[in-house]
Amino acid sequence: MEIIIYGITNSVTLVLMTLGFSLTFGISGLANFAHGAFYLLGGILTWVFMNELGIPYLLSALLSIFIVGLFGFFLYWGLMLRLRGLAINEVIATLATAVVIIEVLRYLGFSGFTYVLPEFIKGSIQIGKSWVDYQRILLVAIGIALIIFLFLFTHRTKIGLSFRAISQNERTAISLGIDSDWTAALSLSFGSALAVIAGLVILPLGSIDTQIGYDILISALAVGIVGGLESVPGILVASLILGFGQIVVATFIKAQWQTVVTLAAIVVILAVKPSGIFGKYKELEERV
Amino acid sequence: MADEVILKVENLTKRFGGIIAVDQVSFELKQGEFLGLIGPNGSGKTTLINLITGFVKPTSGRIYYRNMEITHCPPYQIACLGIARSFQMVRAFHKIPAYKNLIVPLYSPRVRKLSGGKYGERDDMAIDLLDDFGFERDSFVPYKPAGSLPHGYLKRLDLARCMALRPELLILDELFSGMTMSEVSATLPLIEKFNREGLTIIMVEHRLKELFRVANRVIVLNFGRKIADGPPREAMSQKEVQRAYLGTETEG
Repeated sequence: MEIIIYGITNSVTLVLMTLGFSLTFGISGLANFAHGAFYLLGGILTWVFMNELGIPYLLSALLSIFIVGLFGFFLYWGLMLRLRGLAINEVIATLATAVVIIEVLRYLGFSGFTYVLPEFIKGSIQIGKSWVDYQRILLVAIGIALIIFLFLFTHRTKIGLSFRAISQNERTAISLGIDSDWTAALSLSFGSALAVIAGLVILPLGSIDTQIGYDILISALAVGIVGGLESVPGILVASLILGFGQIVVATFIKAQWQTVVTLAAIVVILAVKPSGIFGKYKELEERV
Repeated sequence: MADEVILKVENLTKRFGGIIAVDQVSFELKQGEFLGLIGPNGSGKTTLINLITGFVKPTSGRIYYRNMEITHCPPYQIACLGIARSFQMVRAFHKIPAYKNLIVPLYSPRVRKLSGGKYGERDDMAIDLLDDFGFERDSFVPYKPAGSLPHGYLKRLDLARCMALRPELLILDELFSGMTMSEVSATLPLIEKFNREGLTIIMVEHRLKELFRVANRVIVLNFGRKIADGPPREAMSQKEVQRAYLGTETEG
């Protein structure tokens, strides 16, 4: 029973961590290596707004989502616009951004037990024989709600339509009057905002440590590689595999072996199906 | 209105490294004209189209659309001004149903300004429009993912997508390549009809017989230079054109 409960919450946690990264990549082909840094930045901004400036929680949360979203938007216009199409430069630029954000926050000392975000509802509930805190249940609910919201957003709104058009055929979309740079900037902004939302939901389960800026990026990359970077069903399946895999290993073997599951999954997938479980089949292109 | 100049190209030049793809090309296009753009492979036809639609920026020269300079406009803005284009290779939104492909142009700021209409109506507008292009509304064809349709349908989907943008200038890059004879003869009257209704068209085409049935003017390119401009028969009878096509010394 415990395995099922913690498997599910762990899987949804992974989904939340990956959604923003995959949204940006799926739409504009931009691998945002600053994803984890944005997750961390969002959490710390919220903490600062609440504890240093005395702003109420909800407002602080919305404010940090907005600020980091804006930051993503200007990261595109200021930096990525000049590098578009050069994949390795994109990676270097976003990774450099990540290192700057994370290390500055580390220098300012935002780590440790004082830096805790509030849970949405305190307390826990008994399911079968095991206790689960409300935060983890909310986390699952919010994860599912976010997936449904994103689906409706991309399928039912004009911006969503331009997202899908750009992702499926950029040149045709441009010839029909869609501004690809504007769309890509929006996608990076939305992806960054999603990173903050994930942080707000997940961070209350522990205290904030600047190291998570890197850990989140690695988790998102792992899920993305296993599932196929641009595929939402892929992310769901990969999160379930990795989420349950980690919990099973932690329960029956040792907690330290959790990370091995992630790494082993990456190696196996890269050897067997490099595009990921649900990714586009790119093998021919890659080998020619 | 009829004689208004819709497109003016002045000394347009594009170099790719040491190669001159388009070399000092100038011409004017009047409202309602049907221009055929022809020339041997690699003569710069597609580059010229990419320059006009903003996908490639010229090395020198200017482009005017209705007396407004568009030389440095990004492609999406040029599309919004009413210049629609198809691509040589089929470029559909392959994952979504064929009719949904038209929702993208139907949602563009340009069409919204021209027609208004509410959300739910756009599906019907798209299905109506596709019906004219041989995607019968009662069959399963318009509802299948575009990627699963045969090539001839995709070519017509490209054309329908251009028309959904309500263009004033339509640029077609080898629309007929890969189409069967019967598909061509079904599509040709449609294009002719659009032209009769006042749409200005530029058409790059290798199937000269079909092109000359509809075009009333032809520009011939060779090595990026304009070597002939005029009614099809006159243009084709020029010596330089015949040399370029039959290849006495240069063409392999």
